[in-house]
Amino acid sequence: MSKDVLVIGGGIAGIQACLDLADQGITVYLLERLPSIGGKMAQLDKTFPTNDCSICIMGPKLFEVERHPNTHLLTYSEVEAVDGEAGNFMVKIKKKARYIDEDKCTACGLCAEKCPVIVPDQFNMGLGTRRAIYKYFPQGIPSVYTIDDSVCRVFQGKKCKICAKICEAEAIDYEQKDIVFELNVGAIIVATGFEVFDPSDIKSYGYGTIADVITALEFERLLNASGPTRGHLERPSSLNIKAEIKQTEKKIKKAKARLKSLEKKNQGSTDEARKTLAALDERLSGLKAKEAALGDVKDIAFVQCVGSRDLRYNAHCCSYGCMHSVKEAIVSTEHGSEIRSTIFFTDMRAYGKEFHEYFLRGGAEYGIQFVRGRVAEINQDDHGRPVIWCEDMDARKVKKLPFDLIVLATACVPSKGIEKLANIMGFDSDQSGFVKTDPNKPTTTSAKGIFVCGCANGPMDIPSSVSMASAAASMAAQTVKGLG
Amino acid sequence: MSIQGLIKKTRVSLCQDCGICTGSCPVSRVLPSFSPRQMIGRLILSADLDMEEESLREEDIWSCLTCARCLERCPSKVEYLEFVRAVREEAFRIGNKTRYAHDGITQTLVQMQTAGMPQSKTAWAREAGRIQDEGEYFLFVGCLPYLDVVFRELGVSPLGSAGSMLKILNRLGIDPVVRNEERCCGHDMLWNGNVDLFKELAAFNIELIKRCGCKKVIFGCPEGYLTFKTYYPLYFGELDFEIIHFYDFISDKITNNAFNLSPVESTVTYHDPCRLGRMAGIYEAPRKIIASIPGMKLKEMERNRESSVCCGVSCWANCSSYSKQIQMDRIKEAKATGADTLITACPKCNIHFTCALSSSDIEMEVKDLTHVMASAMNI
Repeated sequence: MSKDVLVIGGGIAGIQACLDLADQGITVYLLERLPSIGGKMAQLDKTFPTNDCSICIMGPKLFEVERHPNTHLLTYSEVEAVDGEAGNFMVKIKKKARYIDEDKCTACGLCAEKCPVIVPDQFNMGLGTRRAIYKYFPQGIPSVYTIDDSVCRVFQGKKCKICAKICEAEAIDYEQKDIVFELNVGAIIVATGFEVFDPSDIKSYGYGTIADVITALEFERLLNASGPTRGHLERPSSLNIKAEIKQTEKKIKKAKARLKSLEKKNQGSTDEARKTLAALDERLSGLKAKEAALGDVKDIAFVQCVGSRDLRYNAHCCSYGCMHSVKEAIVSTEHGSEIRSTIFFTDMRAYGKEFHEYFLRGGAEYGIQFVRGRVAEINQDDHGRPVIWCEDMDARKVKKLPFDLIVLATACVPSKGIEKLANIMGFDSDQSGFVKTDPNKPTTTSAKGIFVCGCANGPMDIPSSVSMASAAASMAAQTVKGLG
Repeated sequence: MSIQGLIKKTRVSLCQDCGICTGSCPVSRVLPSFSPRQMIGRLILSADLDMEEESLREEDIWSCLTCARCLERCPSKVEYLEFVRAVREEAFRIGNKTRYAHDGITQTLVQMQTAGMPQSKTAWAREAGRIQDEGEYFLFVGCLPYLDVVFRELGVSPLGSAGSMLKILNRLGIDPVVRNEERCCGHDMLWNGNVDLFKELAAFNIELIKRCGCKKVIFGCPEGYLTFKTYYPLYFGELDFEIIHFYDFISDKITNNAFNLSPVESTVTYHDPCRLGRMAGIYEAPRKIIASIPGMKLKEMERNRESSVCCGVSCWANCSSYSKQIQMDRIKEAKATGADTLITACPKCNIHFTCALSSSDIEMEVKDLTHVMASAMNI
């Protein structure tokens, strides 16, 4: 028997449930499969309808969870098996090897500065880069680094170990192994959140083929001051050109050096080398002209219901898409005085407290244009700019409208691995794959002693996730206290 | 069936009124008064208001090209195409007919095929290769002999394609059955509301193929293929013979290098016909064929495969300046790929694009895929 609780998922719902239980004197284990807790909320720039900075309101909770005497963080960990019953669960957990001693690491960051392996950064949705040794995000908790063994040179059998040489705390341990252990808990709360639907399935929207068509979460990272562009609103196509310019400048440097050395040694003809250099110079000026022609982001389009309310993909509404598009449109005006947004919607679902006022303010004070009409397709015009085709239903006309940037408000789908978890833990899922609950018992799953909160149960916004988390904590507390 | 009944059957009331259909519709872009969603809306309203007959007399039920671009994208999975087809049946029944193109010559010819007049339209086959009266394979020629005569001045040579198809089959050791008694597959009748005529034609064809003992029927035309494969069974039950499209048939054999292909140096683009692509799901076979021709570079149009845009006219009806606009838009898209040849896989697309180009100064060659294949095979 155990009076402890396990919370699976370190997003805002899991964190809230964890704190509510800990504050009651219950010992709670918070398990998170990523290297850091925080979840999707940590990736947002601002939250609606207050436009608060997301990580600013979340940060204190992250610290609290780590410091609370009654909580135990199990990050970079996964659930392997669950046996037993309410009041007495035996949970097999695998804590993955970070190859870093968490007690020694001070998160100084020297290792990452020197690490030679550069890979796309998942926290920044692939728009930025990180090293093989990395901290998931700057405010991440626990405040330690992790080595990604799928890309680290040492684990590919290559020579390196630069981080170990640099680390003053001697925290690097390449020999570290995964730890598998068992935890005895009385109740479990599933708070595994959601996944962003991949819009590359919808070929007519051009996501993946047209560079400047991005998802809302990618847009949040571009807006964010600790994002890949330090908060400068840039198009992916601009970022691509900038990267190409950098690469070409590097190549030119090399070519110049080579030419110089050839001239010095006076060995053979320099014609080939001159040709290469001339070609590279031409390429550089072409790229620079392209960059200049692109200019700043001025016109942004928000496309609602991408993969949601769609019997071909997900029938359910994502519930927060209309609101986050209004939010992003409002916030984007802070990034450039000439920025103007248009939102293409099916219905404007602003059902929550003060949501409708927020939407009205968006139009009246921030100049957002609202077009009732679901986007039919996104093409490119002759200049490579993305173009939206849709029926403006109020004007009863088909419109073709070019934009600098198109942001897709995508469907909310169940978290990766929820199916496996459902099998391991024995709870039912609904027809969309979310954790099934009885409408009269909204936090109770079909498995006794196992509760759910947040988007693991279905799409919902932050206030709803937090409320539900407190509710689930209350139910879990009843279970371990032998009540209910 | 009443419009009420049709609405139930095709789930039209699930329409979210989102506008994706209209935003995707090639007709809506040139004819702003037309909208798939609004047309449905009016018909639903008319059913509610007991004004079904009035709404069935409207002209815009004929404006739809039945290209399925909207159907592909509808988030409520409304069976729009079937709704339009069935509504047209009701409209035809009360005397509302579409405007036939070319003074109704194609419709008249098809009508004559059910009036007991003997046809003599297989001389081209005897000249081009070897055919039989009975056997395993039936080569369904369709309208090609008639189109060859009616559109002779366009120079597209539908019978040339037919001859190439036959020669290629002969090369593979197949001497197919080609018969004078073959009727039009009935596609245009089916989509223009004349379901009785469609059923007559279909009955003749099924009986003929049975009589010849054929177990495999090969089609060069997407409409014939689609009509036999999807629509004949709906009216006549499962067919006793296999329906095969020529490009499907040939694409595996061509990549195995069964043919010694000569290079054809050119940059081409490929237009997915509505009936072959979206409605029959055949996208890759023609592309495989193009890819196997040495020296031929394929540059895809942005709107390809499921996103392909109709050639502007359907069922030899309602051809107007709007059709021309749709055609020219598509041709400009083809030109923008940098290709010098637009390859088509449907005899009608071929004719419509060629016709549009004949009154424009854009330089673009339009070629039927079978023609292209045949030249690479030195046939």
